[in-house]
Amino acid sequence: MSAQPSFYSRFAADRFYLWNLVALVGVALALGHAAAGGGLLSEYAINALGQFAAFAILALSLDLIWGYLGILSLGHGLFFAIGGYAIAMHLLKHSYLTTGIVPDFMQFMGWKQFPAYWVWFEHFPYAVAAGLLFAFAIALVFGFVSFRSRVNGVYFAIITQALVYVAMLLMFRNDTGFGGNNGMTGFSVVFGARLGQSSVTALLALAAVVTLIATLIGCRALVISRVGAIMIACRDDETRLRTLGYRTIALKLSIWCLSAVLAAIAGMLYVPLVGIINPRVLSPELSLEIAVWVAIGGRGRLFGAVIGAVTINAVKFLLSARAPELWPFMLSALIVLVALIFPNGLLDLPALRSLIREFVKRPGAGRLTRFKSAS
Amino acid sequence: MGTPAIVVSGLTVQFGSFRALDGLSLAVEYGQIHALIGPNGAGKTTLLDAISGITRSSGGSISLNGLTELTRCNEVDIALSGIRRKFQKPSVFEALSVRDNIALGIPSARQAGLVGQSAIDQRIEATLDVIGLAEQSARLAGELAHGQKQWLEIGIVLASDPKVLMLDEPVAGLTDEETERTGVLLRKLKHPARAIILVEHDMDFVEQVADRVTVLHEGKTLFEGSMKNARLDPGVIDVYLGR
Amino acid sequence: MWSRLLAAVALFCLVGAQSSAAQQPLDRPTLLRQLCGEAPEVLAGAQSTAELAATAGEADLDWMQAVLFALVDRRLSCGDDAVTLRLPAGTIVNASTLAPATESASGRTPILNLRSRGVVEPILAALNLLVGKDANVKLEALRAVEKKPQPTLLAIVERALKIERDPQVKGAIQSATETLALRSPDPEKQKIAIRRLSEEPSTRSLTLLLNLRSEPAYNANAGYKAALDGAISSIERWLAFSNVLATIYNGMSLASILFMAAVGLAIIFGLMGVINLAQGELLMIGAYVTFLVQEAFRAVLPGLLDWYLIAAIPIVFTVTATIGMALESSLIRHFYSRPLMSLLATWAVSLFLVNLVRVTFGTQNLQFVVPFYLKGGITVVGDFIITWNRLFAIGFALLTLGGTYYILRRTTLGLNMRAVTLNRTMAGCIGIKTRQIDRLAFALGSGLAGLAGLALCPIYNVNPQMGTLFIIDSFMIVVLGGVGTLVGTLVAAIGVGQINVLIEPAYGAVAAKVIVLLMIILFLQWRPEGLFAVKGRRK
Repeated sequence: MSAQPSFYSRFAADRFYLWNLVALVGVALALGHAAAGGGLLSEYAINALGQFAAFAILALSLDLIWGYLGILSLGHGLFFAIGGYAIAMHLLKHSYLTTGIVPDFMQFMGWKQFPAYWVWFEHFPYAVAAGLLFAFAIALVFGFVSFRSRVNGVYFAIITQALVYVAMLLMFRNDTGFGGNNGMTGFSVVFGARLGQSSVTALLALAAVVTLIATLIGCRALVISRVGAIMIACRDDETRLRTLGYRTIALKLSIWCLSAVLAAIAGMLYVPLVGIINPRVLSPELSLEIAVWVAIGGRGRLFGAVIGAVTINAVKFLLSARAPELWPFMLSALIVLVALIFPNGLLDLPALRSLIREFVKRPGAGRLTRFKSAS
Repeated sequence: MGTPAIVVSGLTVQFGSFRALDGLSLAVEYGQIHALIGPNGAGKTTLLDAISGITRSSGGSISLNGLTELTRCNEVDIALSGIRRKFQKPSVFEALSVRDNIALGIPSARQAGLVGQSAIDQRIEATLDVIGLAEQSARLAGELAHGQKQWLEIGIVLASDPKVLMLDEPVAGLTDEETERTGVLLRKLKHPARAIILVEHDMDFVEQVADRVTVLHEGKTLFEGSMKNARLDPGVIDVYLGR
Repeated sequence: MWSRLLAAVALFCLVGAQSSAAQQPLDRPTLLRQLCGEAPEVLAGAQSTAELAATAGEADLDWMQAVLFALVDRRLSCGDDAVTLRLPAGTIVNASTLAPATESASGRTPILNLRSRGVVEPILAALNLLVGKDANVKLEALRAVEKKPQPTLLAIVERALKIERDPQVKGAIQSATETLALRSPDPEKQKIAIRRLSEEPSTRSLTLLLNLRSEPAYNANAGYKAALDGAISSIERWLAFSNVLATIYNGMSLASILFMAAVGLAIIFGLMGVINLAQGELLMIGAYVTFLVQEAFRAVLPGLLDWYLIAAIPIVFTVTATIGMALESSLIRHFYSRPLMSLLATWAVSLFLVNLVRVTFGTQNLQFVVPFYLKGGITVVGDFIITWNRLFAIGFALLTLGGTYYILRRTTLGLNMRAVTLNRTMAGCIGIKTRQIDRLAFALGSGLAGLAGLALCPIYNVNPQMGTLFIIDSFMIVVLGGVGTLVGTLVAAIGVGQINVLIEPAYGAVAAKVIVLLMIILFLQWRPEGLFAVKGRRK
């Protein structure tokens, strides 16, 4: 009677997860319809959905290490940017070979030829492989030196923040051959098709949503497996786990590198949709914002990260059109609200329910701090 | 005399200018429950920390089976060589089920001598039965009562069938009845191929279960022998038991 | 004091002696005739004017200046009978007497060719230097003299040097005499000038001497060549030395700001395990409060405007400490057990503060009045100038260090803070009000950040985004120095400040940041708990 339930029954045990997954499949179908020429969704909505999906993958990648391993990275924008730059390089070179238009940044620098490290970037598989491998390598080296010397918690968070800041300063330089200050833009062709056509946009968005679904299924399979249990154990008490004979450094390093690669994939899906990448994706603020998405949606529940990323970005999109100066104030208020009252995120329904109950019972007497939990 | 499992010789652990262990020597034999007692700050937990590799020693040696030098290993390798330790503060993984907790006690099926998933499942069931938590296997560890957490942690460290088992205050905070049950459990754990180190403040419990007692004081051995004799030793009475 | 008085008396005597020697009348018509002639004559006239000017009386000087000015300005009219000139105001006067006259019918305006102009203009400038009243006019004149140095002007400039009172102008004249002496036809004079220059090494004297290498005398005269080369290499040695000193000095001033920003961060982190991402914004607010104090002084006490920086010290500390205390009791205290969440919460605070300031004040840099006591500096050696504004920051940081040390080591509050840092539960058990200690420590840390903001006002740009510039470096200092040690923070701040400044000129600011980060990551391999961590049993 105490036998372990089967993998499938454990996978399906979370109804909340399943329903959201179904909803996502619905979104994918709608995008497929749009790609086939259906007019259900506006061009803007299609593009926004694609971007949200890319952000959701990015948030998932952070949730994997923060929610399940307790390692907060405040520099995940670095891996997102690596993926984004790799695909931007591919698009620029591909567009150049198709249309013969020299990219802006090369005209600006007076270069006639692509820098040597751009070689083969016109081949899509190479560009993807190079981007993912580079993100993996950076994560591996940085993760190894950090985890080996037991750099954890706040220390790790602020060092990753410094890392992304330094990367931003590097990319702001014009002589690095990555577009410098202005970044890269003016992509015109993807896989031979003209960018900007609504069917192409829909296909790109569909790719993002399908990747998101695949990532969600893969992550769920990971976290309910034995490795998932070890991850949670490592998050809650690493010393204990080590004295049971687990090489936690290897575990943390593997998941950290996986997370970095996922973030890079998110960047690859994002850049073709927005048509530009510049060093501002490396700003420490963006990396902090990723953590905010996850915190607001709720850590350690996969869909928390997705819902956090989509909600926050949807509000940001709406506000940036109408009242951009309001956005930072709203964001900071949201963070404080979540941090103080919903430490497990806005999806923490039990906390919300008991808060309301307490508030109804004794108006004004609801002690908000009761819902604190350790992080 | 049996075969020694752990031999500590001349072990020194220093924190700043404070010597938590000061040239301590000690041998723990297979098939015995060896209790470490002594006042607070005597170095009991520090000794367990040093054996399990959490704290680095500044001198001396700890050997397992006279072969492996533990002061040169990290805590993972020490654990994989068959040494397990239960912490003073119950350290179970509260976010995981009781069953998952026990399963985590087996980091490597091969090292625990188990082949195939069914053998692992059997070992988990058997451990759950021994600690009496079979009924609770699907519950989250965080929902257990304090006594149950103590047993669960014993179950975690037991699951891989360790050669050396270190128990830091297993009956602290337990009711008399729970203490009684823990005593029964401990005697069940005794095994000719296993050495058990017990740190405990409950003298009656120690007298009940321990085969041998070492009294530590200021990082040094004050007395070694049976609990009965320890109670008669004037030095031990002075610093620890009181008159 | 006495020596200065004596010098003044000597100067007075000299001026008196000169004016008596210059009483012989000037042959104005001859000079005018020369100036009206062909190009070679004009040059000769101008030259003799220059020679005469060294000893001429004041009236003659004014006359020479007026005539040369008119010549350059094409207001001179040479008639067969009389030479007239038109004053800048428009009146026509006799060029010899400067009495009102009518322009001669045969009047012709001499035109200076390019070469003559190059000779006459510096002479006119030198005369301006002598007769000018305003410091700016004189400085302008000096620039013209130095642009095309003519040895003949040396006497005039030396005369100007003797009568000059304004120290700034006097310094400029002094350096002009050196420039001219170097061009002197007399090799002995040249050698003296070279020696004097090499005694005051600076980039300027180096350039002057390097220019001399292209003179024919350099290759012709072996003794001269040796003297020049010796002087150049001596100056180069001194300059290298002074550059090192200047770099260290700039590094110290950066380190001072970083120390003040980081020490608050370190205290708070040590005590509560909370990293305050809004620390940079408290620093920014400190700078803005300083600005407000300045504006208040401008409105209410304009006469005491220079003292706003001093008056702002207690105000800035109080305001930022109060903000910190409010922040602690409303927000931060909920995060003591959740350090990672505290990062996000304090970032929210920083986001809020940055945007609040941006909306209120705008994004442009604030304009600060540099008080007279922070203007300029003293030249120590070569190019190394101890500038008062940076010295202010360094001194301020030292005072902060002393004050913080005193609070931590000599007061009850400090004792309690150290107790809570070491063992919060135990400290609570023996009756220390840990909540109150937390609040006060947070206030202290915030106040120190505010003071850092005040100290950087005279050196760095002040705008809403400035906090982010300092916060990452401050983190690195806390990580490097170890938690809760004043010495660690100090050493780490000096290290990070110096490395930034040392690497920046050679490889750029970006490389400096990259190298600092890499060094910190490598350092953590060696000492994961920082430089001066307290060791104990791991929990």
